[in-house]
Amino acid sequence: MRQGQVLQTPAFILHRQPYRDTSQIIEVFSQEQGRLGLVARGSRRPKSRLRSVLQPFSELLLSWSGRGDLKTLTDAESAAALMSLTGDRLFSGFYLNELLLRLLQRQDPHPELYTHYRQTLASLALGRHVGWSLRLFESALLEGLGYGLNLACEIHGGEVLDPDGLYEYRIHEGPTLARPEQSQGLLVHGRSLLALAGAGDAPDDTCQRELKRVLRVSLDALLGDRPLKTRQVLSSMKH
Amino acid sequence: MSYSPLVSRLVDALRCLPGVGPKSAQRMAFHLLERDRDGARALADALLQAVERVGHCESCRMLTEETRCWICKGSSRDSSMLCVVETPADVMAVEQSAGYSGLYFVLMGHLSPLDGVGPDQLGIDLLEQRLDDGSVKEVILATNPTVEGEATAHYISELAGRRGIRSTRIAHGVPVGGELEFVDGGTLSHALAGRHTME
Repeated sequence: MRQGQVLQTPAFILHRQPYRDTSQIIEVFSQEQGRLGLVARGSRRPKSRLRSVLQPFSELLLSWSGRGDLKTLTDAESAAALMSLTGDRLFSGFYLNELLLRLLQRQDPHPELYTHYRQTLASLALGRHVGWSLRLFESALLEGLGYGLNLACEIHGGEVLDPDGLYEYRIHEGPTLARPEQSQGLLVHGRSLLALAGAGDAPDDTCQRELKRVLRVSLDALLGDRPLKTRQVLSSMKH
Repeated sequence: MSYSPLVSRLVDALRCLPGVGPKSAQRMAFHLLERDRDGARALADALLQAVERVGHCESCRMLTEETRCWICKGSSRDSSMLCVVETPADVMAVEQSAGYSGLYFVLMGHLSPLDGVGPDQLGIDLLEQRLDDGSVKEVILATNPTVEGEATAHYISELAGRRGIRSTRIAHGVPVGGELEFVDGGTLSHALAGRHTME
């Protein structure tokens, strides 16, 4: 076996970009090695078998070799039956991919996040609780990066969250009881945070709205001043 | 070893063509200079004229040096059908094959949120004007069967749906003369999902 050779590893394609005349550089999220950059030589030739295989949102078995930052794809095949995203859900898929591209470092393995990504795509494909699946994934991503939300207890007294209590969520710290009649800050009910911690069924719309804001601000803190392109494109599509 | 400045400038310039590396560029340059100076003059003139004068058709965005392309001007075309494609090459492919007699709209790309390509880059506002003027009854979505092509088709079908215009997607499936055994899984599952009743 050649040095640095990896065979038939489950992975998803996050992004492709043309490279030279007939090749492309693909960014993949692999189960064992995390995010990777691969050169797929000749994969844009009209008769290349890889053209139809190298598509985002379906799990592939990839083989590659090489030791540098960019490795060479040696083979690719579909791992599972196509569970394709359709319609609006494609844009949710693009959003997930951009989050991973922006926040994961190359060759930093995240096997649990990989499993979560696969499950999220499956629920997107089925069209069940799309918004809630995205929230759970965002939370798992923060957790995987070491910036997980504090969903257990209040930061000052350390008391267990009260489902009916109203809290102010402080980024990088956690929930603190909101002052009566407070209207500023990231306000969130205890039951919303508990629902996210439990990762069970989707809570009501108010909870989901509150969590969407908390997660968005937390992600923005990591993304820095370069906004997500998928968000910009999506907002230009809404009329 | 290096060439004289003009020759090396020509070799470098030729390398801007797709599929042309240093060796091919050198071969082309020598061929033009040694054997075919008239051809070279014609090429230079054609390039210059095209670059200066060719723009986009004001109604379909096809490449043309006139304000409207020959397809949009043609009186025999059926203006109730609008075929949306990604590139000018796709227009030529459809023109050369199946007897399609409607009009086109060329996006010059596809929605690609990760690359920041949104509706503004694809001339969607112009497409909306075409849909608004009332003559289009059916939009045929002939974007490529990639995830970006599907996303683009979905977005345009919503624009058409809001105006009560029927939109159809070209079928994907097994190529004519192909064998099921050698067709990849993705194509085959599309082909099965899009099966139709035998008449």
